Amino acid sequence: MNLKILDLQISNIRSVVNAFRVVGHDPQVIKTAGEIVGADLLVLPGVGAFRAAMKRIREAGLADPLRRHALEEKKPLLGICLGMQLLADRSEENGDTEGLGLIPGTVLRLNGDQEGVAVPNIGWHEVQKTRTDSLFPTALDGAYFYHVHSYHLVPREDEAVAATIMFGHDRIATAVQKGNIAGVQFHPEKSQDAGLNLIASIMAGFGRLPRMRLRDNASGLLALSTNGDESS
Amino acid sequence: MTKPRIIPVLLLKNGLLVRSQLFKIHQAIGAPQHTIRRLSKWSADELILLDISKEDFHDLRRDDMQVKYAGSSILGLLEQISEVCFMPLATGGRIRSVEDMRQRLSAGADKCIINTASIERPELISEGAEALGSQCIVVSIDAFRDAEGRYEVRSGGGSKSTGLDPIEWARECEARGAGEILINSIDRDGTGLGYDLELVSGVVNAVSIPVIACGGVGKMSDFPKAITGAGASAAAAANIFHFTELAYQYAKKACEDAGVHVRPLQVSSRWVTRYPTYDLAEAQVAVADRLDRARNRAGPKRAGSRDDNKVRWCTKCLYPSLSATPMEFDETGLCMGCRVATIRVEWSDEEKRRRKERLVQDLESGRSKDGTRHDCLIAVSGGKDSYFQTHYIKNVLGFNPLLVTYYGNNFTEVGNRNLYRMKEAFGVDHIIYQPGVENLIKLNRLGLIVMGDMNWHNHIGLSSIPWIIAAQFEIPIVIYGEHGYADLCGQFSDTDYVEWTYRYRLEHALRGFEWNYMVGMDGITASQMFAYQYPSDEKIWNIGMRGLYLANYVEWDGNRNAALMQELYGFEISEQPFDRTYRRASNLDDMHENGVHDYLKFVKFGYGRCTDHASKDIRLGIMSRKEGIEMVKKYDHVKPSDLARWLDYVGMSESDFDAIADTFRDPRVWWRDGETWCKRSLWD
Repeated sequence: MNLKILDLQISNIRSVVNAFRVVGHDPQVIKTAGEIVGADLLVLPGVGAFRAAMKRIREAGLADPLRRHALEEKKPLLGICLGMQLLADRSEENGDTEGLGLIPGTVLRLNGDQEGVAVPNIGWHEVQKTRTDSLFPTALDGAYFYHVHSYHLVPREDEAVAATIMFGHDRIATAVQKGNIAGVQFHPEKSQDAGLNLIASIMAGFGRLPRMRLRDNASGLLALSTNGDESS
Repeated sequence: MTKPRIIPVLLLKNGLLVRSQLFKIHQAIGAPQHTIRRLSKWSADELILLDISKEDFHDLRRDDMQVKYAGSSILGLLEQISEVCFMPLATGGRIRSVEDMRQRLSAGADKCIINTASIERPELISEGAEALGSQCIVVSIDAFRDAEGRYEVRSGGGSKSTGLDPIEWARECEARGAGEILINSIDRDGTGLGYDLELVSGVVNAVSIPVIACGGVGKMSDFPKAITGAGASAAAAANIFHFTELAYQYAKKACEDAGVHVRPLQVSSRWVTRYPTYDLAEAQVAVADRLDRARNRAGPKRAGSRDDNKVRWCTKCLYPSLSATPMEFDETGLCMGCRVATIRVEWSDEEKRRRKERLVQDLESGRSKDGTRHDCLIAVSGGKDSYFQTHYIKNVLGFNPLLVTYYGNNFTEVGNRNLYRMKEAFGVDHIIYQPGVENLIKLNRLGLIVMGDMNWHNHIGLSSIPWIIAAQFEIPIVIYGEHGYADLCGQFSDTDYVEWTYRYRLEHALRGFEWNYMVGMDGITASQMFAYQYPSDEKIWNIGMRGLYLANYVEWDGNRNAALMQELYGFEISEQPFDRTYRRASNLDDMHENGVHDYLKFVKFGYGRCTDHASKDIRLGIMSRKEGIEMVKKYDHVKPSDLARWLDYVGMSESDFDAIADTFRDPRVWWRDGETWCKRSLWD
């Protein structure tokens, strides 16, 4: 599988690259729009501010090739951290900014006006899986993943939520999936075995996607029931 | 809810891991890479890497060690460790601008920690937060509590007064966009007195961002207190993680025991191994290159020069700054070996009693519950220290030890007699593991070519076989005599009660070359390396294995031990003087340890065992510096007579030996003038 990691040059992607390597893949780091073509699987990592990242995406002419990859060619796309937020329609970070519009929804600031929570949300959260039919493995459920964020993606469709965490009293999405498009708010590359296991099994799940697409339902969600709930 | 984090802080000085006390004294511990790899394997919640170097200069370039990296700054190191660092990583030290932050993030860090620069120019906090996001910006606050209990922020590594109140300053940092506060107590640093909970809770109550507590942890039970007692989001510490094996897991366990819900502790990993992995082809190329250089009499890869020379010596003993053991000097030019030895000499009677009690307690924890096995295991070579350890454990304290020896096939006749007499002298059981000689010869040769030490097999053997056997019989306590590096170069303080660790084994005893490095070289198989395969972390954790150094608990004087053992048990000392030192009772177990092995140290670093012995005797006050220098002049450079035996044993010519040895000459010590190797000496 031709795995490419898109380097937006706004943050460190070395750990992401190393994480894919450790679980047995050989990612190619790309920086330009032209290089997106031919990717079987595209990973969009990112840390930092939404607006700066979108500005970078537009200036480098990456938005259209990304949308073509994910929407027209229906090839797998995985957003990590800010990369997941960029999948949304828009974000309220530093004023309203338009996103890639690949997962219907809005990026909102975490509600810090709750007892015992702090923004940015930094640290380890136990993740609850909310759907049995997603790309995410059983092993995800109850495992701890490292989160660093001040904003979170609120998908318009509940079905797009694949896993959640509790932030104060709020249950917020930490993994999303809509067909071939998936994202995680946490950092699998910084979550040690839990994260590396997850990357390994997502890669295995994406590997099965061409077969799954045949059963792509009207809402665009994949029903993976015949494959069961794949773990690694 | 976010889980409270337990965070190891690694302090780096010129690329080396150091232990710190009161922000002033820094004892070099080793290279950071292996420690980071293991913390990643154990799923540490997060890692803080603080570069406390005064200048941008990294010094890890010893050619005889496996640890190498191309860079010469924190950036090179960050890039290298990102290959094994699958955990959140915050880094600080020498960050002055947003550009500095950006560089560190792109080299692999997740957060940047700023301290002095944030005080000098508070706008840096907001600039960083705007450019990189608040989550990337950790402001570190070093607070000093004066005699009246007033707190003040200090900058410049604790050296400069700022007039700032830590609580007010923390508030301002938050307002300027800091994502986290790391609050450190200067006066608790390295003291082991526990966190300054008043300081930590003051800051926690003043801000809404996460607060990491640091400074003063001395016991594992201090960790949960930062969380329950002061409300910190994370409890961090530096020194304590270096002292004992699996310290991180024990810190987690202390939290669990105190009812603090941390992320579950982990010992093993599916993806990150404890053993370094090596590329056999690369290793073979390195061997071929080395032999090529030797054939061409080319000397070391990097040539030294008279001007390049950086060696200096301790002002009290004779220890050089560039040595086989990591060495640090204090601001007066005194080496850490002298500093630690001075403290040791001054143990009071009360202190001696306390230490003995502690030893008995530690030994009791490993005693056989039903009395069917030995109470502990002593790694013995049959030398004076082995006798003393067995004497103390069995005949003074009344425990039943199992003795285990790695037999490296290099014993002197006297050493052999001493070794085989232990079962009679003490009435103890004794397992002597004798590896096959054919393989030993290969390992002798490879040791010389790969790392300039033919005795690598001996060091890895005595760092492995006792543990393999202890794990097999589920004996939790393994006893060694002295912590070589604590003794020689004051790597630890005597209040650290430092224990045996895998890190020490790998980095110092093995120079970074694990047993698997040799597999495939010269036809060596994994099963032929059985005697060198250390038990897994899982086994060590499950059995609760610990390696204790007797010298941490009882007064230790090699000369006196030898005399006492002669008197009590008929321990024999060498009738023949050694070629390379004036002492007669050390290293009888291995004719090459004081000979060829030590001569190689001289070839590499320009000093030898006589410097070690004279330095120790100067510290003990039984030799003057002047007498010491005379001894060093007489012995350090001598080519030993056991070399003939060794060359015959492995089938090598003396000129080949010399040529290989010359490739290891440290360019910071030696330069070549025509055919002559030159160095500066302490008496120049």
